[in-house]
Amino acid sequence: MSAQPDVPQITNDSIEDRLYTVKYQDPGESHLDVKVPDVCARCTTNDCVSVCPANVWREGDDGVPHIAYENCLECSSCRFACTYDNVVWEYPETGAGVTFKMG
Amino acid sequence: MSAILDGRVGDAAIEEPNYDGEFDAVVVGAGLAGSAAALTMADRGLEVLLIERGSSPGAKNVFGGVLYTPTIRELVDLEDAPLERYVAEKRFSMLSHDDETALSISPGEWRREPHNDSYTVLRGEFDEWFAEQAVDAGATLVTETTVTGLLREGREVVGVETDRPDGGVEAPYVVLAEGANSLVGEGANLKATESRENVAVAAKEVLEFPNGENVIEDRFRLFGDAGVSYHYFGEGAVGEAFGGGFIYTNGDTVSVGVAYRLEDAAANDQSPEETLNLFKSHPRVAPLLRDARTVEYSAKTIPEGGAESVPDLAHDGAVIVGDAAGLVLNNGVHLEGTNMAVESGYHAGRVIADANARGRTDADALEAYGRALEESFVVKNLERYAWLQETVEEDRELLFETMPTAFADAGAEYFRMDREPKAEHASRAKRAVVDALGGWRGLAKLALRYRKVVT
Repeated sequence: MSAQPDVPQITNDSIEDRLYTVKYQDPGESHLDVKVPDVCARCTTNDCVSVCPANVWREGDDGVPHIAYENCLECSSCRFACTYDNVVWEYPETGAGVTFKMG
Repeated sequence: MSAILDGRVGDAAIEEPNYDGEFDAVVVGAGLAGSAAALTMADRGLEVLLIERGSSPGAKNVFGGVLYTPTIRELVDLEDAPLERYVAEKRFSMLSHDDETALSISPGEWRREPHNDSYTVLRGEFDEWFAEQAVDAGATLVTETTVTGLLREGREVVGVETDRPDGGVEAPYVVLAEGANSLVGEGANLKATESRENVAVAAKEVLEFPNGENVIEDRFRLFGDAGVSYHYFGEGAVGEAFGGGFIYTNGDTVSVGVAYRLEDAAANDQSPEETLNLFKSHPRVAPLLRDARTVEYSAKTIPEGGAESVPDLAHDGAVIVGDAAGLVLNNGVHLEGTNMAVESGYHAGRVIADANARGRTDADALEAYGRALEESFVVKNLERYAWLQETVEEDRELLFETMPTAFADAGAEYFRMDREPKAEHASRAKRAVVDALGGWRGLAKLALRYRKVVT
């Protein structure tokens, strides 16, 4: 698309830089998990990975996703997307997790 | 029960050892619906505890960009509210991969107060301000406190459990205003988890323009406090997905984002972030956003199940409001949630105050809230477009892929500058649309099917 005449290039920040724009306080342990790892191991669609806007859910070697919970923007897409209802999602406690200044 | 009020903000740090029975109502979540409910109850003399899990109200809240104010301005004076710009222009745009066909609406009336009750805001600022209004009315706000569950006596909800030490708070009424990710209400079986067909994912950026003065005014043809609301749909906006893109102007920034069904996000390899990047790079979008710098990236889920997805709103000792109750309207032309959140919080607060005066906490008494919503624009609007989601799903290829190209082709033909007579151009333009949309018969059917979106 950028090959078209008279269309300016838009440079987008990497996901890492984008995540630097929000404040994050680490709750110390993940507020996300999977209920039954075997369910993930058998899952072929990895919808949690596809829908995540923040690259929290990543395909793991054993078929069980790696969860970079400290990236989480708390949108909860993964929880709704998993057709096996296999996502554990808890609110980060005592004010931890993401803070949006604008939202 | 002493530690919970450690999280209180403002001057409410009164020394008092035990707060059980202190509050008539607990509100879970200080977003628009929660603060509206808290304010309404506090105005009527109830002791209200407003619990927010973020570091301040709004810290966890994301939306597209427009606050609709017909209800909220009846509750508070918006004179000092942190509003960004009023919406002076609405633009609806169909994007193919490299075409745009758009309709712009900018009535003079919108430039005059009350500006059609439509203002862009930033939720971090606005929600904090709105919660302060509830505190000024007498509500007690605690932040950095997460409600982890409900206290029950049999079926009756009698308070909340929090993550604070000894963090249980008993109260006759609980208002669940947790937002789309409603873990407490679902955990207590007061509502079902929404199926993903009915949930959209949104990725959003707030952008600033570090180079130059008046960039927003000049690019969007604005002056003073006027702003724009641009909506985009078609494959140039979100690919083959069911959804769209948006740009809203704030005071010194613009909000740009995409929102589309989780079902499509799951089926596509393209992440929401990549979808946002492509939308921003569209030939008709990129010039508006060039040389911008990202000041915030955010994401949210949107409950779009409509009327059928609204859960039971009243329970013994509890009501559900706002996004948690699925009160979002998206029919492609109207994208509303903030107005419905405030309206629902207001009715919930009013009904609880009435019930409290009569000493009633049962679902039958609180059902007056559900009835009030049904009689209000909130449920009436949701019901009016209840048919739409399914119909659009059936026509998605036609609407999001075929139509944007067909209209762009027709426009190109109709205005083609060559040495042929215009009758030829007009005929070809007509054919571009008619053929693409299934002949005259198909066109008539399509018009009939979607007439209720606008009429």
